[in-house]
Amino acid sequence: MVVLLFFTTAVIMSLLIILLKRRVLTKILSLLFAVFLIGFTFYSWQNLNRTEFSYFTFDSAGVLLLSILALLSIPTIYHGFIYTVDDDPKKHSIYHAALIMLMTCMSGAYLANGMTILWIFVEATTLSVAALIYHDRNDAALEATWKYVFICSTGIALAYLGILFLGFVYGRDDAANLSFDTLVGLIKQVNPLYLKIAFLFVFVGFSTKMGLFPMHTVTIDAHSVAPPPVSALISTTLMNVGFLSIFRVYSLFASSEILGFMNHVLILSGVLSLLIAAGYMLKAKHLKRMLAYSSLENMGLVAIALGIGGTGYYAAFLIIILHSLAKSSLFYQMGQLSRILNTFRLDNCGKYMALYPAGALVLIAGLITIMAIPPSGLFISELMIFRAMVNNNQWIALVIVILLLSFILYAMSIRIMHIVYSNPRRDFDPGPPSYVNPVETVSQFFLLGLVVVFCFYQPWFIADLINQSIAIFLP
Amino acid sequence: MVDYLIILFAVTLIYFASVERLTNYIRLISLQGLLLFGIAIFELKEINTANMLFIAAETLFIKTILVPYLLTRIIKRSGVTKVHRDAMPGFYLLILSISALLFSVILTQLMHNQYINSIFMAVALFTLFTGLLLIVTHRLIISHLIGFLVIENAVFLFSMAVGNRMPMLINIGILLDIFVGVLILVFFGLRLKPRTNELTMLKD
Repeated sequence: MVVLLFFTTAVIMSLLIILLKRRVLTKILSLLFAVFLIGFTFYSWQNLNRTEFSYFTFDSAGVLLLSILALLSIPTIYHGFIYTVDDDPKKHSIYHAALIMLMTCMSGAYLANGMTILWIFVEATTLSVAALIYHDRNDAALEATWKYVFICSTGIALAYLGILFLGFVYGRDDAANLSFDTLVGLIKQVNPLYLKIAFLFVFVGFSTKMGLFPMHTVTIDAHSVAPPPVSALISTTLMNVGFLSIFRVYSLFASSEILGFMNHVLILSGVLSLLIAAGYMLKAKHLKRMLAYSSLENMGLVAIALGIGGTGYYAAFLIIILHSLAKSSLFYQMGQLSRILNTFRLDNCGKYMALYPAGALVLIAGLITIMAIPPSGLFISELMIFRAMVNNNQWIALVIVILLLSFILYAMSIRIMHIVYSNPRRDFDPGPPSYVNPVETVSQFFLLGLVVVFCFYQPWFIADLINQSIAIFLP
Repeated sequence: MVDYLIILFAVTLIYFASVERLTNYIRLISLQGLLLFGIAIFELKEINTANMLFIAAETLFIKTILVPYLLTRIIKRSGVTKVHRDAMPGFYLLILSISALLFSVILTQLMHNQYINSIFMAVALFTLFTGLLLIVTHRLIISHLIGFLVIENAVFLFSMAVGNRMPMLINIGILLDIFVGVLILVFFGLRLKPRTNELTMLKD
C-alpha cells in the first residue's frame, strides 16, 4: 500500500501546485516530494523483492535506479528553483508540477513488474517531460517538444507492438498483466521468431527513451532545448528508464535460444551509437548537444557491455550509475554557464575560468569523470568491458571501440578546455554576466566526488544490488 | 464478415500509397476508424459491455469523427492541400506498399500460431509498415501525423487480435490514442507550421 500512497500523494502535490500557483507553496511541496521520494527509496531498500499492489516489485535493479533518482531529486529541484526564478506563476507551477510527475512516473517504471504497467509509465514519462521541454515557449522548444513527443510516441507504439507479440506468446486467459514472473516460464516453449520480433520492437521502441541508436536523435534535440535541470534528468534517470525496459526484456529472453541474436543487436547498436557520437562530437558547435552526444556514447557502451556479457553485465550497471551522477552534474553546471556566458554556442564561449572559477572546475572535473579518465569510477567500468571483450576474443570490436572512444575524448577535451581557458572564437557580446553564487556548485562537486569514490571503493550494498540484478547471468 | 472488413481495411492502406490530396488521406483515416469499429463489433464477442462501449467510443467518436475533424482544421488553417512536391512519387510508393503487403504475408506464415488469426496478423503488420512508409517517404508534418495515426491503427488491430483474451491491453491502446494522438493533433498540429517541412532549427 505504500506504493499506492506514494503515487497518490505525488499526484495530489502536483495538482495542488497547478491549481494554487503560489511560489512558496510550490517550493515547499517540491521539497516535500523530494523528501517523500527519498523516504520511499529507503522503504524499498528495506523491502527488497517484495511485491505491492500486485503490479510493483522492489527488485534490485529497480531499487538501484530508484536510488539514483532519489539522490538526484534534491539538486534537480534546487536548480529548477533557480532556473524558474523569473518565470510567471503559471509557467513556474507547470514546470514544478510536471517535474514531480516525471519523477513519479520514472519511479513507477523502475518498480513495474509487468510489461504493460512498465509501458504505461514509460508513456506517461513522455507526456510529463514534454511539458518540461516546452518550458521556454519559443520556436526551438516547440520543435524539440514536437520531435520528442512524435518520435517517442511512434517508438512507444512499436514497443507496445513488441509487448503484444509477447501476448501472442502467452495466449492464455490470465495474460492481462504480462508480468515478468509469469512470462519467464513460457519463453522456452515459444517460436524463436516471435521472440526475435518482440525483442526488436521493444528494443527500437524503448531506445527512444534510452537515447540509443537508431532512435537517438529525439533525445539529442530535447537535451539542447530543455532547461538544464530537466536535461540532467532526461540524460540520466529517463535514459535509465529506457535501459531498464530493454534490460527487463533481455533478461526475460536470455534463457531462450535468441540470446546470441540479442547480443549481436546490442553490440551493433552500441558500436553505431559510438560511431555517431564520435562523428557529431568532432564537429559539435553547441555545448549541450555535445553533452547529449556524450550520453549517446555512454549508452552505446552500456549496450556493448550487455551484448558482450560476462563482466560486461556488471560494467553496464556501473556505467548507468556513474554516468547518471557525472552527467547530471555537468548539466546542472550548464544552467550556471548560461547565466555567465549567455550562450551555449561553443564559438561564443571562452575564459570561463576567469569569469566563474568554481564552474570551470566543475567542467574540468566533469570532463575527467565522464571521459573515464582515472580517478573516475567510469574508468573501472570501461576496463571491465575491455576485459570482457578480450575474454570473448572480440578483438575487432575492441579496436573499433577504443578508436571511437579516443575520437570522443579528443573532441570533448579540446572543447571543454577551449571554454575554460581560451578566448571566444567569434566577436560575441554576451552582455554583463549575472552573479552566480559558487555555493550552487556544491551539489555538482558532491556528485562528481561520488564518481571518483567508485574508482577506489564500491560500497558493498551497491555491489550487492548490481549482483542481484544480474544474478541470472552469473555462473 | 470480419475477414471482409479486414480485407477492406487492407485496401485502404494500398490506397494511401496512391493519393496525393490530404483530404483523401483524412477520408481514409475516417474510413479506417469506421472499419475498426465494425471489426471490433464482430470480433470481440466475449468482451464485457463496458469495454465494448469504450471501444465503440474510441473507434466511432475519436478515430472516425474527432481525429478527421482536427486534421481538417489543420489543413484549413495551413492552406496546404497536397503532399510535398518532393515526396516520393505515388508509383514507387505503390510498389513499396505492395512489397510491404507481401512481406507481411510471408512473415505471418512464418509465425503461424494457434492463437493468431493469420489475416489479422498480416493486415496489422501491413498497417504498421504503411505507417512507417508514410513517415519516412513524406516530408510534411501533417503527412507524418497521418503516418502516426496509421501506426495507431496497427496497434489497435494487433490488440484486437488478442482482444478476447486481453481486454486490458486494448484499453491501454485506447489510452495511447486518446492521450498522445489527440494531444499531438491539438497541441502541435495547430501550433507548428504544417505547410513547411522546415523543422531544422535544431541541427548539428
